[in-house]
Amino acid sequence: MTERRPDRALGSVHDEFWSWCDKGELRLQRCADCGRLSWPAVQECEFCGGTRLSWSRMSGRGAIVSWCTFERDYYNGLLPIPHDTILVELEEGPLFLSNPRGFSWREITAGMAVKLAFLDCEDSAGPFRLPVFERA
Amino acid sequence: MSEYSGALPIPSASRELSCRVAIVGVGETDYHLGYKAARSKAPGYQPPTPESLTKTAFERALADSGLRRHDIDGLSVSFIYGGPSPQATAQLLGIEPGLFVEQATSIMAGPLPIACAAIASGKCDTVAMVYAAASRAIGRQYGGRTYEGAAGMPTSYYYYHPWGWSSQAAHWALVWQYYMAAYGATEEDLGSVAIQVRKNATANPNAVMQTPLSMADYLSSRYIVRPLHLFDLCLVNDGAVCLILRRADKARNLPHAPVLVAGWGESKTKNSKLHTLVRERLRPQAQDAGQQALGMAGLSLSDIQHFEGYDASTIHLISQLEGYGFVEPGAGLDFCKSGEMGIGGSLPVNTSGGILSESYMHGWNHVAEIVRQLRHEAGARQIDDVETSMFSLAQTDQVHPLIFRRGA
Repeated sequence: MTERRPDRALGSVHDEFWSWCDKGELRLQRCADCGRLSWPAVQECEFCGGTRLSWSRMSGRGAIVSWCTFERDYYNGLLPIPHDTILVELEEGPLFLSNPRGFSWREITAGMAVKLAFLDCEDSAGPFRLPVFERA
Repeated sequence: MSEYSGALPIPSASRELSCRVAIVGVGETDYHLGYKAARSKAPGYQPPTPESLTKTAFERALADSGLRRHDIDGLSVSFIYGGPSPQATAQLLGIEPGLFVEQATSIMAGPLPIACAAIASGKCDTVAMVYAAASRAIGRQYGGRTYEGAAGMPTSYYYYHPWGWSSQAAHWALVWQYYMAAYGATEEDLGSVAIQVRKNATANPNAVMQTPLSMADYLSSRYIVRPLHLFDLCLVNDGAVCLILRRADKARNLPHAPVLVAGWGESKTKNSKLHTLVRERLRPQAQDAGQQALGMAGLSLSDIQHFEGYDASTIHLISQLEGYGFVEPGAGLDFCKSGEMGIGGSLPVNTSGGILSESYMHGWNHVAEIVRQLRHEAGARQIDDVETSMFSLAQTDQVHPLIFRRGA
């Protein structure tokens, strides 16, 4: 079932990120100059300002660093209240803000291992696949 | 207009700019009465406007300074959610400043160093700085789509919408969840901060919230973004603050002791913003900016006798105390629980109630409180013989401290 979600930030590099998600791949930009990964998507490397960036596929493995649960509705009923969000440290290093699938805040512990999954969603720009995380 | 954009850099901290300018006048609106009126919405209630709020704060600051209208030759305007143009503001206030001080942000601290530099460079002698926010009157929301399209906004304010993550509070919720696990802290531990700041506010007749808060009140309050409760987050109310700044050598022989602007600093996160916020709690930025400000003032951290920190949330206040090094990382909650943040403690913190309990004036009320404390006019909450105070703005990705000294 497709979930309705608040709108993505789209345009240029953001479109590229989401088109990789549509193929079932989580890819972040790696800088050819310093080798580091930037996230959210950037025009220039957030570490060194380099512009030679290529989309590098993530393993999808990670661990939960922190999490929080929205008990107040900031999206005018679009999302269920409460809803959980997690901050995942990807195996490759960057922190990736996402949602848990198949578990809730009650079961989360710091450092809990998770793996990538995709959720069929849509926003006002159309259908898309949202990267989320399941228990590893 | 964004409160977060930083296009115009604040002047670099330098010894030669230290103590060149004094705050000689302060005026605030009636936060407590204003909040009560807004909540009760009695028949005929008219919500305040930036104009009405500003006028009140300015008249009070001018009277407080002992100066006359024609002494004001500079104007700095900070209407965080919109308001009249600087020219229209001058007209509203009945002044004819020769200089409109340019600035990029409305949140304290940025506008103050910029105004000080304008005075130090000889462009003007006396600047009225006005700030107003009718946050409650306009129904301002602090999450969801609020920040769309605002220039210079950190990505965390708009980028994570598809995952349903966006609010001021959510930043501090991630920080607190991480902190609990890292240091074995509990909700009761954090509740002690909300209770202490409220206790300070009970001695402030102008604070929005003056009723003592109990641990039971705290724990039974609703979650906004779990694990943060309502009382972990700042107020939303209407008000204005006016500060009158004057060249320090012309600030003597006025009704009140001058409060000298002794130091400032600024440090921003350049990358890995969520890592820096959640895991480092901006400590590298606080260390960097703190050293700039202390170096400019010619002081060390142990000289600071009073701290006013940007308490957008309870945990964020603790992060600043730990970040500057007043206490070790992880020791901030014990410091609070032992009473050290109270009026008689080793480092009184947010003595008027901050933005958690006094008034959501984006740091301006913290500076107004510093003025009262350093003048030794803070009444029931006066810190004995205080001579040196520090203000700290910390946002999600930047830190801006200010240091003040009581002048002769």
